[in-house]
Amino acid sequence: MANFKIESGAPITLQELYPSSPFFMEARSLRVTGLLKGYSVETAIGVIEDGEKSLKINTQHLRDVSFRVGSVYQFIGELHIEPNNEAILQARTGRNVDGIDMNLYRKTVELLRQFLEVEDNINMVE
Amino acid sequence: MDRSLQNAHAKLMSRDIHRLTPSPTEANCFSTVGTIISRDMTPMFLKFSVDDGTGCVTCILWLNQLTSPYYNRFNSSTILLHSRTARRQARDIRIGAVARVRGRVGLYREVMQITTTNVIIERDPNAEILHWLECVRLGRSCYRIQG
Repeated sequence: MANFKIESGAPITLQELYPSSPFFMEARSLRVTGLLKGYSVETAIGVIEDGEKSLKINTQHLRDVSFRVGSVYQFIGELHIEPNNEAILQARTGRNVDGIDMNLYRKTVELLRQFLEVEDNINMVE
Repeated sequence: MDRSLQNAHAKLMSRDIHRLTPSPTEANCFSTVGTIISRDMTPMFLKFSVDDGTGCVTCILWLNQLTSPYYNRFNSSTILLHSRTARRQARDIRIGAVARVRGRVGLYREVMQITTTNVIIERDPNAEILHWLECVRLGRSCYRIQG
């Protein structure tokens, strides 16, 4: 049985995806959430949006996920950066999260990061 | 951890599960919530991984209730019930779903993994958020002292 290591998708908001961001890296594993604004069945590429920011999602590897424009989806996958600096997430998983509290999600991701950072600092001095 | 919590399932994030030190005396029942990102079925068990945003943890769901000598101590109806439950849970474990996994944590090939006793597929889109918040609260107030 294969025993390869899969990277965890760091939860981020789309506002954090900009060229100088630490998350804006080729092959970076991310978890993104947003409203599906468009979807092409031919290319299996969708566009999610959160506020003013949007991100392309390549869903060609996803099975058993039906896409409905106007619903909220969460994807885990690896970021690919095109030569023109446009990012596209190569999704490994996707799910409909209609009903998610996006404000709570954003605040919790921030709180979680702070908590993990404090834990790391404590472990370093122990 | 507080000894009064020995029989409870401690809620942990994947990153913390990998930082546990295996102990024969301390309780090792844990619960975590994450997105299923891999699934590997064998005749004996289902191996799957959950990603909760802090790390990935491998989980094993045994499916050998009808053949393993371990289950000889139980009567046949109990064995059948365990077997059916495990197979039903295995069927529900699909890539992309969010699962609440409860079980015992142990070291296998130098990596912590969960031998599951119970897997529940979460339908609530806020389930992972709630789990993160609970883990942060318990991490600060219950599991260890932080500044």
